[in-house]
This record gives sequence, structure tokens and C-alpha cells, in this order.
Amino acid sequence: MSGPILLVLRVLMALGLYAFLAWGLITLWKEIRQQGTILSGRKVPPINLTIRFEDQPEQVRHFTRPDITIGRDPACDCALEDESASGQHARLSYHHGQWWAEDMRSTNGTRLNGQRLSMPTVVVSDDEIACGQTRLTIGLAGNVLNPPTRPLQESAEKE
Amino acid sequence: MNIPIQRRLMTLAAVFLFLYSVILTLAPAARERSWDVDYRWSHWLGFAVWAAVFGLAHLLVRRRLPDADPYLLPAAALLAGWGLLTIWRLVPGFGAKQTIWLAVCGTLFLLGLRLAPDLHFLRRYKYAWLTGGLLLTALTLVFGTNPMGGDQRLWLGAFGVYFQPSEPLKLLLIVYLAAWFADRIPFQLRPLALFVPTAAVTGLALLLLFVQRDLGAASIFIFLYTAILFLASGKKRVLLASLAGLALAGVAAYFLFDVVRIRVDAWLNPWLDPSGRSYQIVQALLAVANGGLLGRGPGMGSPGLVPVAISDFVFSAIAEETGLAGTLGLLLLIGIFAARGIITALRAPDRFRRILAAGLTAYLGAQSILIIGGNLRVLPLTGVTLPFVSYGGSSLLTSLAALLLLLLISARDEEPAPLPNPRPYLLLGGLLGLGLLAAALANGWWAVVRGPDLLTRTDNARRAIADRYVQRGSLLDRNGEPVNATTGTAGDFVRVYAYPDLAPVAGYTSPAYGQAGLEASLDPYLRGLQGNPASLIWFDHLFYGQPPPGLDVRLSLDLDLQRRADSLLGNHAGVIVLLDAQTGEILAMASHPTFDPSTLDADAPQLNQDPATPLLDRAAQGMYPPGGALSAFLQASGLVPDETAAADLTALYAALGFYTAPDLRLPVAESVSPADELRVSPLQMALAAAALSNDGVRPAPRLAMAVDTPAQGWVVLPALSDPVQAFPAEGANQTADALMVNGQPFWEWVALVRTADGAFAWYLGGTLPDWQGTPLAVVVLLEEDSSLLAQSIGRALLKLTVQP
Repeated sequence: MSGPILLVLRVLMALGLYAFLAWGLITLWKEIRQQGTILSGRKVPPINLTIRFEDQPEQVRHFTRPDITIGRDPACDCALEDESASGQHARLSYHHGQWWAEDMRSTNGTRLNGQRLSMPTVVVSDDEIACGQTRLTIGLAGNVLNPPTRPLQESAEKE
Repeated sequence: MNIPIQRRLMTLAAVFLFLYSVILTLAPAARERSWDVDYRWSHWLGFAVWAAVFGLAHLLVRRRLPDADPYLLPAAALLAGWGLLTIWRLVPGFGAKQTIWLAVCGTLFLLGLRLAPDLHFLRRYKYAWLTGGLLLTALTLVFGTNPMGGDQRLWLGAFGVYFQPSEPLKLLLIVYLAAWFADRIPFQLRPLALFVPTAAVTGLALLLLFVQRDLGAASIFIFLYTAILFLASGKKRVLLASLAGLALAGVAAYFLFDVVRIRVDAWLNPWLDPSGRSYQIVQALLAVANGGLLGRGPGMGSPGLVPVAISDFVFSAIAEETGLAGTLGLLLLIGIFAARGIITALRAPDRFRRILAAGLTAYLGAQSILIIGGNLRVLPLTGVTLPFVSYGGSSLLTSLAALLLLLLISARDEEPAPLPNPRPYLLLGGLLGLGLLAAALANGWWAVVRGPDLLTRTDNARRAIADRYVQRGSLLDRNGEPVNATTGTAGDFVRVYAYPDLAPVAGYTSPAYGQAGLEASLDPYLRGLQGNPASLIWFDHLFYGQPPPGLDVRLSLDLDLQRRADSLLGNHAGVIVLLDAQTGEILAMASHPTFDPSTLDADAPQLNQDPATPLLDRAAQGMYPPGGALSAFLQASGLVPDETAAADLTALYAALGFYTAPDLRLPVAESVSPADELRVSPLQMALAAAALSNDGVRPAPRLAMAVDTPAQGWVVLPALSDPVQAFPAEGANQTADALMVNGQPFWEWVALVRTADGAFAWYLGGTLPDWQGTPLAVVVLLEEDSSLLAQSIGRALLKLTVQP
């Protein structure tokens, strides 16, 4: 008689295990779907860099990726022909709903609107970054300061 | 959103482990099929400590890290609890130790939840952490011990507590590599500058492990280094180069380290040496096979048969007791954990924590796959633990530390860091998923497809264990007197040999030496696997993991006659076969010298060496030259010796059954073929002699008469062959009358054969055609140069038998 009773318990135990797994997987699936809808509504705002170097004609480059390296190294996303720029000179990255400029320990330093860049700093449209002799002007489409993912700021504005 | 999920999952995990504990408590009742047993209670201590530790962990996570990933803690808790209860089930002493370890490591884990989630302390002091880990591991070179007494001195011990520093070293290496790459990647794109310092540090750690022969940990290190380098750089060529390096290292290790060679050979060809080098893996596969689909149930299998089941082979123990259903769940659980780990990495707020989380996930996932694959013969066996599950304080501490770090990383209140290239992370997750899938397929293969075949292997000790728990059927003589019977209670049933002189015929059943004689040939009935309805056998296997109670078999032997035959034969090496000439039922079958099967365990070595071969059933398995004993048959068939064509002789011998082995559910020797020199067993001779007392008809032999089935009572086991007219009835009767013994109702024929092997005396006898009682035939064979003795024994037995 003990056998059938224990079999029932064993089946219940297996059901317990699979209830755990099933419930975990169902909520996971829901979360993935939710995440997908959230992420599809959020994109990295594209950034335009207007590059001026000595007498060369002005050059406008368009980026949609969240991480842009700037330097003389041809492997950089934004490669410069400036001899006074370092191999990896500076970096622009998008996080926390902002574009940030950051010096990458370049030899001659990076300047933002004439000020030396010592820590990652938020940049906005028309800011000018100087790497060596090269000047890069930021152009952002849309209002980067108020991206849709920062509800706190939105509500603050309404007040 | 997160906390309700975590609460629900923790509850389900607790329900699962509670039911596991209940079944483990009740399991002895099912094993012994009685409610009057000693139930198991001790593991409830483990359950209580588990509930306390992880209940508190749940509450603390809810308070301190409400945004932490809600799947990681319950999955890890379920794995840890499952492992803990499995260890309690295997070896309660180690279960108690592991419970203490869980209490200690769990407390540290709870304290660790207070750490700052930015993990700055890890990143900043990365060299200090790593140096500490390396130093501790280096200490094992000097102070290393092995609590299990093996060759590998990988543990540091004090006051009876042992710790394996290579476990936490894995974690510290991941921390170091993550911190290094997080700090360097943005600035240095030159691969060499990135690669050399980390390679040097990893190489140092590897060197330590190689010196210590801790090759399982070494392979994990190589994999982790590769994985983190790939994650950090995102370059596929890193992966390819590392794979090539790994293959090279594997080949080199195969030739450099004996232990690697043994393991790889055992992996490639486990069936060649199943009792030696491949013993572990073969036993592990047997455990998986015994688990089947649903498992035998906690406490109801025999996973303790696999060596080191508590650590290296804990997966096979789980497979045996919860079956494919349980292990697929376990693999899925590891899969969920790994998936959440990768998601945690993707959402991590900075590069350090991202690489760290991915590295930790790679560590837990890869180590699980490595040891599960080793258990299932998908990969060579490496002595690593199954994280969270296996026995071991250092392993549990490391696993919980990894869980803690993952929880802290997942408890983000910040935006995820930008991720330019998510492919390495997805590839890592995909690889781990593929590994788990391969393990699941292999598991199904061994448990379901190959399982039934594997379980019939003779090195499957589960059969012997079942014999101790299930009553084996008795062998009874024709009057119901027991010959071999099983007594005792479930758990220690013992086979009792009530009539030991029959040992060469009735045989023995022994866990160490297998089975012989009738015990072997009637084993399916005695074990209950034949004669019982298939549904009963199936349900008993499902319910109890055992065959149903065995069935009694009634033999044709008459113990009264058997006693007379044995006392007449005395100490002479030889055979007596007495049978009913009409029905072929064997009434007595003595083979001397004999042995006592109840002391087999002590005597077996001598018995095997004994030149007198007491283990041999001379009656059915001894083949002797017939010599002049054949004259009686020639006479009966009307042939004249020395003037008969060879073809006629061959036809006669065929009719007498000398070229066919008697078929009667008893191990018999193979008969000779007509081309060979004629040799006959005393049983064959007795059947031929019976033809002279049975109108020339050679009867079909019978020894096992009937089996006592639960459904239909005694069911007759029919003869397996048909009677044969060996010679004309007239010739048989005339010959019998011509050979009549004066004043007695029987005939006899004596012959002495002298060969290079020695002399053999044959005595053939039987009742006369006009005998009104049961027609009888007897054959005596002595391995002695004394036909007179054979004659006196044969006559005495016939006289005793015909005079009621």
C-alpha cells in the first residue's frame, strides 16, 4: 500500500518542480514581451558631428550607434587626420538618456566649448569639442534633454 | 512586480522540497513493503535550516534589493535544497555537515546582502583579492590534505574542517578579469597589451592547478578566461584561438598526465573495463538507467552504489531517484538561472558589472555542464562539483558568493550601460543552452533508450539489493519439502539451503558470486519476473523499484530418495540419477563431492581452485566416455558390436539423445557432435536407460514441475521436449529381461571404462517390463576403478526404491 501512496507523493513532487519552472517561464515570457515593447519605443537619438580641420572642407558625419570613439587611429568610429590628435582621443557615448563626451587620456587633452574636459560631461546641440586642431560640432535631432524614458523630469516640467 | 514573483517561486521551491522530505521519510515503508519500519527523520534538520536561510534571504532581498532579479534566488535556493536533501539521503553524516555549511555560508550570504551594489570594493582591490586567492591555493602545495584520503591534496584543513581554495579562486579570477577589462577596454585596443597581463595571471593560476593535478578546475579556468576575453573584446578570433589552444592543451595533458589519460580512455571505452577504470562512469550510467522516466523516488533507489555520489556524481543520484522528469527539471532550472544571469549582465549599469555578471554566469553554467556531461558520458569525467548541489563547503560558499554578486548587480536603480555589441553575450547564453540541451538528450538516451539493456548487466548490484528486500521463491521437492528457501524480513532476507548436499544441482544465489544450478536457470520464476502478470511486475517496479515477490517452484525430486542416494554415494566422487522411466521426472540427482552454499562467501576461493570440482554438477555437466555401457543399447536395437556401420551407430546415438543436450530448465553441458569422440553426461545415460524400462521410449526429462502463481495457483511447467522411440519396444523388453537380476524386479548393466584421464564405472539399471509399480531407471557413475562398488550402490538404491 505504501507504494501507491508514495507514487502519488512523487507525482505531486514532480508537479511542484514543474509548477516552479512553468511559473518562472510564464512570467519570464511576459517580461520579455513587455521589455520588447519598451525597448522598441526607445532608440538612441542620432547624432551629427560637423568636423572642421584646418583648411579642409567641412565634413558632416551621421551616427546612430550609442558609442563613438574619436581619434587618429583608423579603427576609431570617427577617424581624424589630425597629427595633433591621439590614437584614441575622446569618446561620445549615450547613456542615462544623455550624450556624454569623455576624454580618453589623450596627449593633448580634449576641450568642450574651450574648457578642458576632465570628466565625462553631458553635451547638447551646438556644443563644440576640440581634439587637437580638429573642431567637432555636435548636432542632435530632437530634444535630448527630455527623452521619453525620464518620466521624473517630465512631471517636473509640468509643474 | 519582482517581489511577488520571487515569493511565489520560493513557495513552490519549498513545496517541492517539503514533498521530497516527506517521501524520504516514508521511503523505508515502500522499500520493505510494511508500515512497521524505521522511518527517516534526520533530513528534516536540513530542510529546517534550508527554510530558515532562504526564508531570511527572501525577506532581506525584499527589503534591501527590491529590484533584484526575482528568479536567481529561488532557482539557487531550489538547487541548494535539492542537493542538501540528496546528500542527507545518501550519507546522513555528510548531510549534517552540509547543513552546517549551509548555515555558515547562508549567514555570510545574508550579511553580504548589505554590500554596496556598485561592487567598488571588488573592482578597486582586484589585485589584492586575486593575490589572496592565489596564495591560499599555493598553500595547498605545502599544507594540502585530502579529507577523502586520495592522492590529490587540494584542501586546507584545520580542526576537521576542510576547504578547497581553488573553488573561490575561480570567483576571484573572474572578478580580476572583469575589473581589468572594464578598466582597459576603452583605452587600449591593441590586443597584445590587453592580453599579456591577464594571460600571465591566468597562466600562474593554471600552473598552480596543474601542479596540484586539479585538472577539472584548470579546464574551468581556461574556459572562463576565454569566455571573458571574448565578452570583453567581442572578437570571434579570440574564441577560435582559445578553442585551438584548449584542444592543444587537452592533447598535451593526455600525454603528460596519467589521470587525464585514464579519464579519457574511460570516457571513450567505458565498457572495456567496467570494474576498473570505468567503474564510476558505468555505475553512474546504471543509476541513470535505473531512474528511468519517473525515478525510483527519493530514498527508494540505490544511488549510493556510485562512488562519491555526494559530490562528483550527485547528478546521477538525482537521476536515479527522480528520473528523467526530475533531471530535465534540474537542467531547465540551471538554464533559467543562466538565462537570468545573462539578462543581468545585459542590464548591468557599467562594464565591470556586466562582464562580472556574464563571467559568473559562465562559471556556474559551464561547471554544471562539465560535471553533468561527465556523469552522462557526454564529456570526459572531471572532478568538479555541481554548483549549489554537490557536497562541499567551498563549493557552496563559492556558489552562494556568485549568487550574491549576481543579485547585487541585478538590483539596479540605474539605467543599463550602453551595449554596442550584444552578440558575445547572446552567444555565451546560446552555448550554455546548447550544452544543457545536449545533456538533456544524453540523459534521455541513457534513461529511456538504453536503460532497460543496461539494467540487465551483471555488474548492476541493484538485483542483489532487491534480493535482500524481496522474498525469493522457494525450491520445493515433490512433497513440498523445502530444498532452498528464503527466510528473514525485508531488508535482510537470507537464502537458506535446507538440503546442502544438493548444492551442485540446486545451486546457489549470492550477491558476490552470482547464481548457479537451478537457482540460475529458474531465476526468472524465483525472482518473480516470470509467472507473474506483466502488469504486476510493471506496477511493482513503478511503486517500489523492485520485482514482485518471487514464486515457489516445485521440483520432481523426492528428498527421501535423494537422501538415500546421497548416503549411498557417500564420499565417492560420482553421480546417481534416478528417474521415473515413463514420465522422465527426475526423482534423485546426486553429484559428489558437494559443497555447502551457505558458507560460499568464505569457501568460494578454495572451491574454485579445488581439483575435485565440487561446484560442478557432474550429473548434467560432467561428460564421460560411455565405453561398454553402450552394449545394452546395441543389444536392444538389434545391432551387433564390431559389425555395425558407423552410420547406424550414429543414428542409434542420436535416438538415444547423446547428440542433443537434455532440455529441462537446468544448466547442462553441451552435447558432443557426431564427429567428436562420444561422451555422455550421466543424465543423458539415465534417459537412455529409461528407454529400456519404458518399451523403448526415451522420456523427456523433467525437473521443475510446477510454479505457484498468485493468480492461478500451481501451474505445471511442461516438459520442453518430446519422448522419442529409441528402439523397438520388443527389443527393449527382451534386453531388459535378459539383463534381469536374479530374484529382483529389475535389470542391470555394469561397465568399466579405463582412459588416460582415469577409470569410470557405469551402472545402468531399471525396472522390468512387467513391473506393476512406477517404472524406474537409475544410472550410477563413479570416478573410480570399481565396477563392483557402482553395482552395489545401484542395486541398493533400486532395491530401496522398489520396496515401499
